[in-house]
Amino acid sequence: MTSYDYYSIAYGALATVSLSLISIVLGVPLGLGLALVRWSRLPVFNQLTIAYVSIVRTCPTVTLALLIFYALPVVGISMEPVSAGILTLTLSTAAFNTEIWRNALVNFPQDQYDAALSFGMNRNLRFRRIILPHISRTSLPALVSEMTLQVKSTPAVAIIGIVEITRAAIRVGARTYEPLPPFIFALVLYSLIVLAFVKTQRAVERRFAPPGDH
Amino acid sequence: MTDDQTTMSQLAVQQRPVILEVSGLSKSFGANPVLRDISLKIHKAETVCLLGPSGSGKSTLLRCMNWLEQPDGGTVFLAGQPLGARPGGGLRMRDKELAAMRTRIGMVFQHFALWPHMSVLQNVMEAPVHVLKQTKDEARATAVSLLQRVGLAGKMDSFPARLSGGQKQRVAIARALAMKPEVILFDEPTSSLDPELVGEVLAVMQDLVREGMTMVVVTHEMGFARDVASRVVFMDGGHIVESGPPDQFFEAPQTERARQFLMRYAARNN
Repeated sequence: MTSYDYYSIAYGALATVSLSLISIVLGVPLGLGLALVRWSRLPVFNQLTIAYVSIVRTCPTVTLALLIFYALPVVGISMEPVSAGILTLTLSTAAFNTEIWRNALVNFPQDQYDAALSFGMNRNLRFRRIILPHISRTSLPALVSEMTLQVKSTPAVAIIGIVEITRAAIRVGARTYEPLPPFIFALVLYSLIVLAFVKTQRAVERRFAPPGDH
Repeated sequence: MTDDQTTMSQLAVQQRPVILEVSGLSKSFGANPVLRDISLKIHKAETVCLLGPSGSGKSTLLRCMNWLEQPDGGTVFLAGQPLGARPGGGLRMRDKELAAMRTRIGMVFQHFALWPHMSVLQNVMEAPVHVLKQTKDEARATAVSLLQRVGLAGKMDSFPARLSGGQKQRVAIARALAMKPEVILFDEPTSSLDPELVGEVLAVMQDLVREGMTMVVVTHEMGFARDVASRVVFMDGGHIVESGPPDQFFEAPQTERARQFLMRYAARNN
């Protein structure tokens, strides 16, 4: 394996990281918004959210990517592979994030909520000052776990032509007839990315956990 | 106090303005009626203890007083203004109007309900700054003096998880006082405390009584009710069974149900 081969796989890692980060940055707040729709039982939107989450959670990411890239043009919506890839990964992670946020909302301590009500806090204050800091902390481990799964599901978008770590490794392996080194290198890169997420989670948890609460 | 003195002080209380009034209040959870046609007036600077067996409706009545529970029927008045429902009817107030009225009623919860991600000082300052729109300096000065008053000046930067139950409840009382409420509702404030921590919370509450705070207290602390309450309201089965000065209630209860309750309590504590 030449240094160019290493470079090409590392370059694929850029795609993996960017796709993961963009879809996470979009998918985490989207999941929160949808969880709030579920929590507040907004008519119609609640049912639509339930349907969306159920469909996406049961649909393999690769199938979703194919659906978005190849099937949507049939109804007049066509997009570049990168946009389709981002949309696929965002819709996928947002569905799981919805359930994570919803779980945190459902388990939010009622008496803390009652205290906020009894002090005359309006809906916005209750959410921003009382609920969000709490559910962000309680959801963080599950959100990071979903983020690492998200990194690992990025190869699904290779099927629509995006070259990320795994696809770059396949290419190198196919060209050199030595599949082992590129895949071991790919494995190392995935491990480093996931490790970075987990380390960041620990740092964030330490930063935001009140002393004595862990 | 002689009977005459008791009667005179009761009359004096009755002449003070009514801070909180519930009229014809009813509430059911599903098919289970919890409050049945409850009417009660709380006068300024009065300490009313709500007593009764578990499930008698005391806490629900307290939570209806600031509409944390929405009553099915009847009205709550705060200083003469209807709370929750619009004047004369069942139509619910707008959230903003209800929130504004709630700022005038303090509440202290059984399990403290402090916000765990905020320090003690932040817990006390939170609503004055964000709801009453006080400046941070003003709110901090008030919070510091209140925390000194409840004996927690040294814990201002601690987080709730680092406090004992008694300390948490004293913070909760300071937090309620920071809003300068017209009345404070206490929902079993000592029930979740270890026995040796009950005293420190009751002492703070006794100070409030001396300072003339209007208080409604759901409690199982008979000693507190006997020594400190200006009136005891005994509830059972969603009704007010008996109401009167503590001396009368504890020495000569008027109803068989209250006698049984007190005997059972005495037997448990002997």
